[in-house]
Amino acid sequence: MGSLKDSAVSGSNPLDSPVKQIQIDGLVVLKIIKHYQEEGQGSEVVQGVLLGLVVEDRLEITNCFPFPQHTEDDVDFDEVQYQMEMMRSLRHVNIDHLHVGWYQSTYYGSFVSRALLDSQFSYQHAIEESVVLIYDPIKTAQGSLCLKAYRLTPKLMEICKEKDFSPETLKKACVGYEHMLEEVPIVIKNSHLINVLLLDLQEKSMVADKHELLNLSSSNHLEKSLQLLMDRVDGMSQEIVKYNSYCRNLSKQQQQKQQYLQRRQQENTQRQSRGEPPLPEEDINKMFKPPQAPPRMDTLLIAGQVNNYCQNIKAFTSQNLGKLFMAEALQGHSS
Amino acid sequence: MSRFFATGSDSESEESSSADEITPKATGTTFNKQFEEFTNIIKTIRNAMKIRDMSKCLEEFEQLYRAFLKSKTIMDKEGVPQFYIRLLADLEDYLNQLWEDKEGKKKMNKNNAKALSTLRQKIRKYNKDFETEIASYKENPEQSAEEEEKDDIGSGYTLSLCQDEESESEDDEESEDWGSDSVDSGGESEDNEGAAASLAVVFLKKYVYGDKHPERKKDDRRKRHKKMEQVDEEADEEGEGEEGGWEKVKGGVPLVKEKPKMFAKGTEINNAVVIKKLNEILQARGKKGTDRSAQIELLHALAGISNENNLGEGILVKIKFNIIASLYDYNTNLAAFMKAEMWKKCLECIDELLDILFENSNIFIGENIAEDSENLAISDQPFRVRGCILTLVERMDEEFTKIMQNTDPHSQEYVDNLKDEGRVCGIIDRLLQYLESKGSTEEVCRVYLRRIMHTYYKFDYKAHRRSLGLQGETKSEQDQEESEGEDSAIIMDRLCKFIYAKDRTDRIRTCAILCHIYHHALHSRWYQARDLMLMSHLQDNIQHADPPVQILYNRTMVQLGICAFRQGMIKDAHNALLDIQSSGRAKELLGQGLLMRNMQERNAEQEKIEKRRQVPFHMHINLELLECVYLVSAMLLEIPYMAAHEFDARRRMISKQFHHQLRVGERQPLLGPPESMREHVVAASKAMKMGDWKTCHSFIINEKMNSKVWDLFPETQRVREMLVRKIQEESLRTYLFTYSSVYDSLSMETLSEMFELELPTVHSIISKMIINEELMASLDQPTQTVVMHRTEPTSLQNMTLQLAEKLGGLVENNERVFDLKQGVYGGYFNRDQKGGYQQRQNYQRGGYRNQNQSSY
Repeated sequence: MGSLKDSAVSGSNPLDSPVKQIQIDGLVVLKIIKHYQEEGQGSEVVQGVLLGLVVEDRLEITNCFPFPQHTEDDVDFDEVQYQMEMMRSLRHVNIDHLHVGWYQSTYYGSFVSRALLDSQFSYQHAIEESVVLIYDPIKTAQGSLCLKAYRLTPKLMEICKEKDFSPETLKKACVGYEHMLEEVPIVIKNSHLINVLLLDLQEKSMVADKHELLNLSSSNHLEKSLQLLMDRVDGMSQEIVKYNSYCRNLSKQQQQKQQYLQRRQQENTQRQSRGEPPLPEEDINKMFKPPQAPPRMDTLLIAGQVNNYCQNIKAFTSQNLGKLFMAEALQGHSS
Repeated sequence: MSRFFATGSDSESEESSSADEITPKATGTTFNKQFEEFTNIIKTIRNAMKIRDMSKCLEEFEQLYRAFLKSKTIMDKEGVPQFYIRLLADLEDYLNQLWEDKEGKKKMNKNNAKALSTLRQKIRKYNKDFETEIASYKENPEQSAEEEEKDDIGSGYTLSLCQDEESESEDDEESEDWGSDSVDSGGESEDNEGAAASLAVVFLKKYVYGDKHPERKKDDRRKRHKKMEQVDEEADEEGEGEEGGWEKVKGGVPLVKEKPKMFAKGTEINNAVVIKKLNEILQARGKKGTDRSAQIELLHALAGISNENNLGEGILVKIKFNIIASLYDYNTNLAAFMKAEMWKKCLECIDELLDILFENSNIFIGENIAEDSENLAISDQPFRVRGCILTLVERMDEEFTKIMQNTDPHSQEYVDNLKDEGRVCGIIDRLLQYLESKGSTEEVCRVYLRRIMHTYYKFDYKAHRRSLGLQGETKSEQDQEESEGEDSAIIMDRLCKFIYAKDRTDRIRTCAILCHIYHHALHSRWYQARDLMLMSHLQDNIQHADPPVQILYNRTMVQLGICAFRQGMIKDAHNALLDIQSSGRAKELLGQGLLMRNMQERNAEQEKIEKRRQVPFHMHINLELLECVYLVSAMLLEIPYMAAHEFDARRRMISKQFHHQLRVGERQPLLGPPESMREHVVAASKAMKMGDWKTCHSFIINEKMNSKVWDLFPETQRVREMLVRKIQEESLRTYLFTYSSVYDSLSMETLSEMFELELPTVHSIISKMIINEELMASLDQPTQTVVMHRTEPTSLQNMTLQLAEKLGGLVENNERVFDLKQGVYGGYFNRDQKGGYQQRQNYQRGGYRNQNQSSY
């Protein structure tokens, strides 16, 4: 499991960002995994700060530290203070101390949320090159390390900056759920010494140590994923209904407005024929206040999340199918 | 006597009752003692007044007040003593004067000033009770003074006289108040007056206000103040001369309100005279100042006279009618109920009236007989009397209900009152006989309904016993006597059928049907009751009926449900009770009590109306029994259903109420052994969910539940057996639903052992489940086993189906958004182009197809 592994996924190429690749130290990966194993359980999420620096077109993440878990009742805990303190201390021991992003664990791939969007926006707003690393402990437990780096697209950054999530702006900006987050390819890099050690260990490790990879049972994982997926689909339905009623209200009002204008016009022509002064033009917008448009950001996020789940399930099922065929073949062979 | 004045505090009434018992001699000594006490206090007050010691005054006044309360009994008998009144009047004048004297007030120390203001307020309030007396005293203070000894009290009194003149202007104001007040109080005091009327000795002088114009009185008062020194007779004369309306009872002579004389001596008493007198009395009826109890007395006396003089039954009947009517009139308020003695009198009167009517078949009564076509004289022609006995009896019945509504149902009084029910029924029965021979069908219908209303809610134990064939065993003489009567079922049947056939007003028929159903249901004749309910189509249009009929309908439905439960028709029971129970307002719907609600939803007026609709306690349906029956039947239906549809997304609840109870049970942090009926049912449901019928049985049927619920049924044992059986069957079903996925095959013998059911029963239950496609299995006959097919979808498959459904919904919603867009544009821009419309249709069809696909 500690093998040198490049989970570089060919994501959409970042266009105007200087950072084209992320290079992560093995230390960071191990620290994140350890953090989750120590503090995260079930659907709890752990978070932490990434440290490193930008070299040419790649972002090197060389160290990290976790946010401490704290309950809501100790109010006087200051997170910013803690981070500054931590970074200062790290600088003293000659470690990269530049803040380049943050990491977060995820539960069955559910991470596309408002909270993530908001905090990533504030990071990217302050430090342009910052990314968020998403670590999926469940997939990792199944035998393949799952660590992905994301950042907001420039389009979304602009929208977030204006804080305008009305349907019109989103339409104008052409932002779909697929254009919200972009994935940045990751490279895990170790020092030569460690590589040598790993190779040495690989020699010694048995197949039995990797049996998680061959686990055939799938229903549990699938059920969970389906449940989450269903939940989001429900959310999506609700959003759509909301939007639908908004549209209906809007059109109804348009009609009313039109009728009102026509009537006014008729009256005015009558008055003119009688030689009376026309009625003064009133502010139509005041009379017909357009209904409040529902914010579409949530819908986008939900769509993104649904997409994410689907990807996960697809990946999982195709893998599993492969395993099942293999098992069948093996069985047929042995019997 | 004591009854009239028992309205005061407890201690007082005790006192009065003891005073009644004590011999006259003892009363005399107490009287003397109290008299002494009075004079002492009054002396101190007068002294305090002289030295302007207000706090002392206040103290003494309070003492005086207490002393007065103590000796109230004597006062009531003897009248309020003059010296007391005098003191009150003087004190008030004196206080008013002090109050006016601003300078003096400033000089007073703080304590005194405070005492002054409190005392002034107190005496003002207090004096209102003695207004007439004080007024009379003020009019001729000297004369009354003569009656009492003249010592220092007298001097104090002269002092107050001088002050009187000084404070004239202020006094005028006061007197104006009194003027208007006394008009009001005239009405109030009338009740007491009636009581006092029979007293022989009344101390005080009485004035009857003929003319009540306050202004004129004021005028008069002013003049009188000026002429205060004059001899009182003169003043009286002048007063009389000026007002005319003021009538004075001769001073000093004790007023005797003698028994009203009906006729002048020597008048020949004949029909015409009596009728004239009767009309005279009746004219006063309903007027404000009329003394109602005196009127009743008068009418009684008149009845006696006419009886003595043998004026014939016609006139007697007429008078009786009026007595009863005025008895009903006694309470002006609709909500108030009759007093016990009035009620007794009323019953007696009606009984007598019926006696007369039965004895004399030549009396015709009716509402439609005009006043002038009445024939009351003894002649060859039959008597004709205006009046409706039926209305009177109906009113009596209503009064009875009112009395029962207003009695505390847990007191002995209630039981005593309930004993009158027999008499009420008796009267109705006699009236029924009478009207059957004489009345119109309409009247017969009405009286039949009354009879039905008194029968339908009573369980006929005789018939029940007879049907069980136990008659011979527990037979005493009384029993035998009772059992000779007709079965209530037969009576109900006869009366109701008459009404169905003859009645023309819808309301009576509706009530009769409902009562009939209720009676059937009460006696476990389920099929008759159900058929009648279904045939009547009442369920469709009952919401248009008036609230009392709706209450009756609700009662009937509940009874029907309980009956179904007893017969083991769980589903029917549940359906019948669902409406009542799901609202959570069963108590209100059955008219068995008001729910606490805020005043916004219901003002005082509505509350009064609702109170009047309440069903008397002895007709109540036990609410706990009702709820228990409902919950148990919900449990028997819901638990197997829940087990069968565990993964169904579209599962709907059969009973919300039951689910609510389950949730409440789950929310409990610590589950102790069940205490209340609900907890028992919840615990039983949990056991049943596991298919554990024995635990379930022990929770539903145990001593606690027996005493709370099951023993209330007439056939307890049978119901319990039915219940056990049902629990076994439903537990078996639940067990099969829940655990079928675990088994490959199941031996029916094992099942029958597990649930202690006979093999054929198990066989039939399982076969039914297979036929209904609830259980995917088949029976293997030779080995007597159930073989599971395992075609039930796994949970993952179930979930996928659910997801597909949800996605279908999503797509549909999405289509709708798109539709709207199309519609808007189509409507707006290309109104004439058909393309948009067609397109839209296409989309709709597409959406439909999608939907079809997505649901499976």
